[in-house]
Amino acid sequence: MNILAHSYVSPKGTFLNGERLFITENEENPLKSAYQQLGAEYPKFYKMDVLSKMAFIGTELLLPFFPEDADLENDLQLIFANSSASLNTDNLFVESYEQLNNPSPSLFVYTLPNIVTGELCIRHKWYGENCFFVEESFNAAHFSEWAQMALNKGNNCCLCAWVEAKTNGEQECFLFLLTGSEQDKHSIETELSTLIKQYRNE
Amino acid sequence: MDKPVYIQALSLVTPLGNTVEQHVDAFTNGISGIQIHEKAGFQETPIPLAKRAEITENRYDMLLREALEKAKAVFSGSGKTAVIVSSTKGNMDLLPEDTFAGTPGIVHEFFPGTDVFIISNACISGVMAINTAADYLLAETYDQVLVIGIDAVSEFISYGFQSLFALSNETCKPFDKDRNGTVLGEGCGIVLVSNQKPAGFSVLYKGGSSSNDANHISGPSRTGEGLVRSIEKTFKRSGKKASDIDFISAHGTATVFNDEMESIAFGRTNLDQVPLNSMKGYFGHTLGAAGVLETIMSIVSMEKNTLFPNLGFRETGTSVPLNIIRHMESKELNTVLKTASGFGGGNATLILEKQP
Repeated sequence: MNILAHSYVSPKGTFLNGERLFITENEENPLKSAYQQLGAEYPKFYKMDVLSKMAFIGTELLLPFFPEDADLENDLQLIFANSSASLNTDNLFVESYEQLNNPSPSLFVYTLPNIVTGELCIRHKWYGENCFFVEESFNAAHFSEWAQMALNKGNNCCLCAWVEAKTNGEQECFLFLLTGSEQDKHSIETELSTLIKQYRNE
Repeated sequence: MDKPVYIQALSLVTPLGNTVEQHVDAFTNGISGIQIHEKAGFQETPIPLAKRAEITENRYDMLLREALEKAKAVFSGSGKTAVIVSSTKGNMDLLPEDTFAGTPGIVHEFFPGTDVFIISNACISGVMAINTAADYLLAETYDQVLVIGIDAVSEFISYGFQSLFALSNETCKPFDKDRNGTVLGEGCGIVLVSNQKPAGFSVLYKGGSSSNDANHISGPSRTGEGLVRSIEKTFKRSGKKASDIDFISAHGTATVFNDEMESIAFGRTNLDQVPLNSMKGYFGHTLGAAGVLETIMSIVSMEKNTLFPNLGFRETGTSVPLNIIRHMESKELNTVLKTASGFGGGNATLILEKQP
């Protein structure tokens, strides 16, 4: 299994393959600024929750790195995970009915973590397999296992993400594109652990 | 499938009871878990719900513990074990904190030392968790996986579905002409997915897949595109075809658009003449648990060679007429298709087969 490319989106900036592309740390609205610097025209972006916004930006940057011969419409699997599911939006929805007395349908539809993968599938016309896991913290071994399982069943490429928006304001989206064959047992665990540490400046 | 994967029903806790026998009785006698609950809706409006009456507080944890206790009593597996919990929302009583944080600890009270995974992929979580369990066995990471499907009724979910105008004001009538929305329910079901043939009745898992509609985050595709693609992928992976299918356990939420979408998808895959039911008339829509609960009752149908009726159905209400099961009948059930569809454009399917 090989890592074809990776990106990282957080309030401090947007990175592609280890290089910072957009500086956003002093912006009032870092994700809006990153979106504007990206130059994509997709007005739906403004309606999205934080998780979807980060994944949208990070995925746009990875597009040139998808394998040319891959049938992305059918055989790209999305494997996403985080620790707090849609908690940020959950709390906003509670506020809409407890404090504003008006349960907001536009917030409610984002109270599911897998809306992120749905948004990406709509944007890119991907009809393949998706799965969203909830885990205590980023686990490189699990991602490696899940991707291997996805490739074993005939998918030819995996877009993976750790996409988190905590209630304390911490936000990050680490995306990586994997490919490989059933025979190819190269473990990407160490590389992934190193990459996320570098992005987080740990 | 290169190697056999067995699947066995271990426990089922819903408003209809906490044993499989109680559920067979309810399905046989057309008893629904749905009742009108005064003041349960937003601004104290009455709404129908399928709530387990025995539980008065801490619903998610109580459902989970009750089902785990029942499962542990019949579990006889050995080898390296994982647990996959499939749930749309987790324990909503924990808000504003993480709603899934307490789940692994409760699983460990009954199955200590197991690796616990959580899949939260809206209403297809349950079917997806069973598919993932089979993937783990085929990768030889585990010898067996307990798959838990659970969601509890909460005001959060009720108010949310009300805000989308997706709830019925009376009963749940999947595929019927007069269907006017879904009814929310709760429950917890547990199946064992194993590479060893378990003691007691089990069936073979033949293959499964998921697919995204790539169309809308909260509305079903008008053409059934994602469901069609998932069914076709599952056929390919399982080596089965439409004419092999003896029974379909459909999703059938009883919203106007969902059931219409499913009928189109079943028409496009030549499955419109296969006997089919949605079990939402009995259970209500139990969200992430639905796939596990309905797979359990599909396994029971195979064991008893019985087609259970689609409770709430009277008259065809989809543009593609389906072969909806109206009365209980006996039929040899060898090959069964389970489907699920949900928010985020997700669809998931799996095929079960009786052992030779």
